[in-house]
Amino acid sequence: MPGPETEVTSGPSAIALPGVRDLILVLADSKRLLGMRYAGWILGAPELEAGIACASMAQDEWGHGRLLYALLKEFGDDVDALEHGREAAQYRNVELLDREPAGWPELVAINVFVDGALSVQLDALRESSWAPARLRVAKMLDEERFHAAHGAAWFRRLARGGDSATEALARATDAALPIMLHWFGPDSEREQLLADEGVLDARASKLRARFVDRVSLLLSDVDRDAADVRLDFGAYDEVTRRSSGGGPDPRTIEQVRGDKNRTFLMD
Amino acid sequence: MAYQKVYEVFARKSRGEPLRHIGNLNAPDDALAQVYAFDTYDEEKWFDMWVVDRSNFHEVFNRNDAGSGN
Repeated sequence: MPGPETEVTSGPSAIALPGVRDLILVLADSKRLLGMRYAGWILGAPELEAGIACASMAQDEWGHGRLLYALLKEFGDDVDALEHGREAAQYRNVELLDREPAGWPELVAINVFVDGALSVQLDALRESSWAPARLRVAKMLDEERFHAAHGAAWFRRLARGGDSATEALARATDAALPIMLHWFGPDSEREQLLADEGVLDARASKLRARFVDRVSLLLSDVDRDAADVRLDFGAYDEVTRRSSGGGPDPRTIEQVRGDKNRTFLMD
Repeated sequence: MAYQKVYEVFARKSRGEPLRHIGNLNAPDDALAQVYAFDTYDEEKWFDMWVVDRSNFHEVFNRNDAGSGN
């Protein structure tokens, strides 16, 4: 009987692997920063229960981030250097996470649009030909169910909350939506390869369409339509999935790298 | 901000066991009550968990109200 060691595994080819590595780093950086953004509201959320929800989501995102960074060992990455030794411009997180959200409506927009887009992307790895991802995404997505429920419930609540809440949410949506629609990228040779080799179950435009499906009902609550956003990939970088350089602001970098804590590492 | 309601939270450890009251929380609606219940009370490994708006509790009787003392 064939044991696991004799099992034939057909992972992605060597030419597809750099694209896989780039994708995992984008997801890891985004989840690490997303966790920080949730954590920023553990104290100061509009109600105690929302603070508890933020603590729980922060914990989940950091867990996912850690797991995704660990996957990068498969590509020979020095994970410690990735987590603690990079400059701002080397981060590949979703641009909307570069700085602290201005207020609670902005955090709710991050919850719905950033967390939502990351889940759509992770979901495309569920049956991935790259086994390390395939074996881990189901549990992450299971935890994400309550993030989505939290985002949707708060989005509706603010949308119906009356003038200033509704307006603030609409503004936050206008800032977040175009960034996330671009985040999935153009249909290109590079991402086509990932779809062809079964790393992802669909290509960029299809993933973007899934994301739009996921958020369209909520968008109608603030009178917005994803179809009204004009896509322009002129400044888009396929490796970082960003349209602007720079990266997280200095305060964020100091916190995300754990600069202060490193002082206490005495080995 | 919307009017807050009190929700009672129930859970059980395994299928077939009676539901146990495990706490309560404040939430404006059922959807957020479900999320908050999970985030607040999922420390233990429950089999299932339920929330009920306290206003849906209807008293059948209460010995104190009857004044009989038993």
